[in-house]
Amino acid sequence: MKTIAKSRLNELLKALDKEYNILVPFKEESVSKFVPWQEGVDPYFEENTLLPPKDILFPQTEKMYGFKVKDKSVEIEELTQEKGQQIIFGLRSCDAYSIDCLDKVFLTKGYEDGFYRQKRENTLLWALACTKPQDSCFCESIGIDPREAVCADVQIYDLGEEWGFTARSAAGEELLQKLEGLFTDKDAEPLPVQGFSITVDMEGVPEKLANMFDHPLWEEVSRKCLGCAACTYLCPTCHCFDIAGSVKGGQGYKFRCWDSCMFSEYTRMAGGHNPRPSKKERVRNRFLHKLYYFVERYGQLLCTGCGRCLAKCPVNMDITAIIRKIKEAQQQ
Amino acid sequence: MTNPLVPIRGKIIKVVQETPDVKTFHVSTIEGKKPFTPKPGQLAMFSLPAVGEAMFSITSQGPDHLELAIKEVGQLTSALHEIEEGQECGIRGPYGNGFPLDYCKGKDLLFIGGGIGLAPVRSLINYCIENRKDFGKLTVVYGARSVADLVFKEDLFENWPKVDNMEVYTTIDRAEEGWNGHVAFVPAYVEELGLKPMTTITCGPPIMIKFVLQALAKMGFNDKDVITTLEMRMKCGVGKCGRCNIGSLYVCLDGPVFTLEQLKKLPPEY
Amino acid sequence: MNEISLQMREIARDLLSKNEVNLVLGWEKGSHWYKSAPLFINKVEDVDRLVFDEFCHNNLSKYLVDLAHHEAKVAIFVKGCDSRGINRLIQDNVIKREQVYVIGIPCRGLKDPDDAVGKKCGEPVKDAVKCQECRYPNPVVHDIMVGEQVNATARGQETAALIEKLEKMTQDERYNYWSRQFECCIRCYACRNVCPACSCRECIFDRAVPDWLGKANNLAENQFMHLTRAMHVAGRCIECGECERACPMNLPLMALNKKIIKDIEELFGENDAGIDPEKKPPLGHFELNDPEKFM
Repeated sequence: MKTIAKSRLNELLKALDKEYNILVPFKEESVSKFVPWQEGVDPYFEENTLLPPKDILFPQTEKMYGFKVKDKSVEIEELTQEKGQQIIFGLRSCDAYSIDCLDKVFLTKGYEDGFYRQKRENTLLWALACTKPQDSCFCESIGIDPREAVCADVQIYDLGEEWGFTARSAAGEELLQKLEGLFTDKDAEPLPVQGFSITVDMEGVPEKLANMFDHPLWEEVSRKCLGCAACTYLCPTCHCFDIAGSVKGGQGYKFRCWDSCMFSEYTRMAGGHNPRPSKKERVRNRFLHKLYYFVERYGQLLCTGCGRCLAKCPVNMDITAIIRKIKEAQQQ
Repeated sequence: MTNPLVPIRGKIIKVVQETPDVKTFHVSTIEGKKPFTPKPGQLAMFSLPAVGEAMFSITSQGPDHLELAIKEVGQLTSALHEIEEGQECGIRGPYGNGFPLDYCKGKDLLFIGGGIGLAPVRSLINYCIENRKDFGKLTVVYGARSVADLVFKEDLFENWPKVDNMEVYTTIDRAEEGWNGHVAFVPAYVEELGLKPMTTITCGPPIMIKFVLQALAKMGFNDKDVITTLEMRMKCGVGKCGRCNIGSLYVCLDGPVFTLEQLKKLPPEY
Repeated sequence: MNEISLQMREIARDLLSKNEVNLVLGWEKGSHWYKSAPLFINKVEDVDRLVFDEFCHNNLSKYLVDLAHHEAKVAIFVKGCDSRGINRLIQDNVIKREQVYVIGIPCRGLKDPDDAVGKKCGEPVKDAVKCQECRYPNPVVHDIMVGEQVNATARGQETAALIEKLEKMTQDERYNYWSRQFECCIRCYACRNVCPACSCRECIFDRAVPDWLGKANNLAENQFMHLTRAMHVAGRCIECGECERACPMNLPLMALNKKIIKDIEELFGENDAGIDPEKKPPLGHFELNDPEKFM
């Protein structure tokens, strides 16, 4: 393993900064999220970030194309932002798994999303192995290994006084070789992962949900939901988006922006018909999507076990409690 | 297409008033060419960039243009109904799975439409007419609220009745002065005609579809042979934004055409 | 198991088995020892889930907006702040007094669940910011009361101190302060959805025609959203502080709301919302001697 003393992290980041934009977790007051690194920015590795790194590849608001309308004529111009190479440094296994899910959504099945692909192919992931699960973490129950992130280019380990790095892809290998001089090669054992306070048995849940569309449990679990978007916006895998325009005097641009299936008008059609008219249908759709539809379509769960939703929901909607209810539910 | 979410520039070369609230728009590229060649049943995202964008079925195509029949129901469609010929626009596509042409080949086909629902079905009807020898007998049962609301009147009363081995049955909901044709709701008319079970393509208002499916089941039609095309609120059109899902399928990508057999396996959320 | 929780269960059991109500709104324990969540009970077997502890933050009166057309009477547990919400909804003609059976619980103040994250049960936890300046710990409307009345005590001054700091700032400094805050907003609308004063059948931000506000996240739209909501709620805010607690980004929304309350008091006299159901909200009517500085 390649190691570097924790006190020398700045040297590593400085070296990487020459060719890459580095995004590191950073905490300001009570909010932690990924920010561009520069000298003086002290990365925050104590806990997982509140805001997931999904907005690096899938920004909350993203311009797509500009247009000009004058009398009967229309001009359209695609807006691409050429971003340089970037590294997401210090994301956890749960968030790395979420990027794997987003890759499947935006890059597979018929079409490739140009905006996402342009960023993704210029992004390397340096994932950080966790040592202390937080109160709301349950990634292990989802089948995610907190110490080994999927689709990582480099895996980072906490060795106590040092950071350890192991390449997990060709690109990662190449980069570590380039920075050879900064590291000390040695055999090292990463710190173990401490226990999880939340565990949930996922066995058979997607299969069971296939027959639970009309189950009365949805009425019960949806009652306290407020219908805000806190869970969907904090969730690292939620990817629903809206497309809208910003116009001033015939000129403007079309953009896409995050949307949430929890909003009441999400599926409302012109003309008024709404296939999900009440909270019950929307809550049901959210959990079926996470735990069953995505499994059917892409072969994996759309939940990473990061726990942000249950930590921040104003009414403590708890996906693990709902999963337990699903497991206990009598077949109707 | 570099990016499936970015449209190409189009031009509305002709606008035809079909009924008081339905107009058919003929769309070409700026250079006067066909924007793309869709299969029957496919869709296009049509936009007036300063107003909005929405998904419409492509009802017909010519060598140089596509035809979209659009009913005035909301913001974008109201704006569209105000524009004049020559207006430039945005268009992207084709989207969706289209009708199962191979499954329909060589068979007698029944088309059941209600109101504006005839628009997507018409793309298949015209395809069958253009490739007449590939298909068996064509039967069309179509109805609307009133004579004024009947769409594609030229096809219904002039073009289609002239086609070899094709029958067109038209009905309106309530009797009207000057109308000597049939008066009945479409589902009732279908039952009345007592047609033998065959491959059926249907589209219309949800309430009509519901009763048509009931009637067809009563008449012994097979779930696999009943084909419909659905409508949902759509934004991206390419199965990414998550909005138009029915279960794990996206109406814009895996649909909008589904057989009754497929629909019965999906959650009833549409 | 505290005495209040036991009494809650008895009352709920009694009401449900006698069919006086067919729904009880209360709280139960959530995913962690420092989380209590809303609970809807319609079966007697479920009453033993009811608890009252220092984490029962949720203002249940908000749910009455959805239950306005419920087919039977609803029982609801309320703290002091929550009870003001009930009066507010009655004043707004959203519900009628006869539709609810109100069980009041005098509240000694709640703890801050964000401060409890990572701690073990029993370790000291800070008081909730929203409870620091509570002036109405005892429910102002109730059919019965559970527990002894409490004296209002100021436990802290965080929001008041922030308002004071803001008042001393220049306009530019104030603008910059709030811009920095609103830049962090993710427009999840948790603040709006948790607020009992936000009872519009169709919220201005959900309307497509006219399209007042989309979903783009930028400073201008975030400012528009928060300032509009603060003005729409002005004169009707019951100071429950749920908006600030629910906000995942910890925006100091109560500073905005309480400053407006302060201004309204200066202009129109004392007007605590939701205390007297007969009293008209200050911005909902006029008096001939209202200040006319701008005329």
